[in-house]
Amino acid sequence: MKNSIKVERAKKNITQANLAILAKVSRQTINAMELGKYVPSTVLALKLAQIFDVEISQIFTLEDSDWA
Amino acid sequence: MEINYLFPNKFKKIGWLLLIPSAIMGLITLLYECEPGFLDFDLPAIFIDDFSKEQKLYGMVKNNILNEILGILIIISSLFVAFSKEKLEDEYISKIRLESLVWAVYVNYGILLLSFLFIFDFSFLWVMIFNMFTVLLFFIIRFNWQISKLEKSARHEE
Repeated sequence: MKNSIKVERAKKNITQANLAILAKVSRQTINAMELGKYVPSTVLALKLAQIFDVEISQIFTLEDSDWA
Repeated sequence: MEINYLFPNKFKKIGWLLLIPSAIMGLITLLYECEPGFLDFDLPAIFIDDFSKEQKLYGMVKNNILNEILGILIIISSLFVAFSKEKLEDEYISKIRLESLVWAVYVNYGILLLSFLFIFDFSFLWVMIFNMFTVLLFFIIRFNWQISKLEKSARHEE
């Protein structure tokens, strides 16, 4: 799964650390998601969508490998 | 989501403060067979199977309790170290925790399998003694290593 957290963050001018506070997770988790190392739970994904005020599908998109 | 099977964060520090001295003392006690006289007691016991005497379901036995005390301290303190919440225990940390636990069980039983094959008789007693504590030990090493790796990689960003 791909995500555009970094892009959305840049648009809103929020640092990883600030996003972590807003989403109530650690900065490492935000970092790991941006690097594609961690796929968040539905709850966290919905929280991020709410924080960025966008549709969830605008942040997260499936890749072919997700169907493998 | 609230995780309720972990100890509060401050137990981690308490755990380390107890674990390090009791592990060192445990090793010394084991290697030098320390049995100080003032810790000799008559204790109630079940499943008594003394080589020289008969087998009994229950009764009293003479025992030096130093190794019991240290064993209990090591187990409780390593449980504290292993299963206390991180400062911010979020879902990613929980995932790393689970992965580390599975890894620790694999490594522990891998080593035990090899020991079954290559270590016999009285030497195997040493394997059993260490094996009482190694699952938690492997978990603690692996989990903390993963967390510190994570912190390092997050520090490089931004």
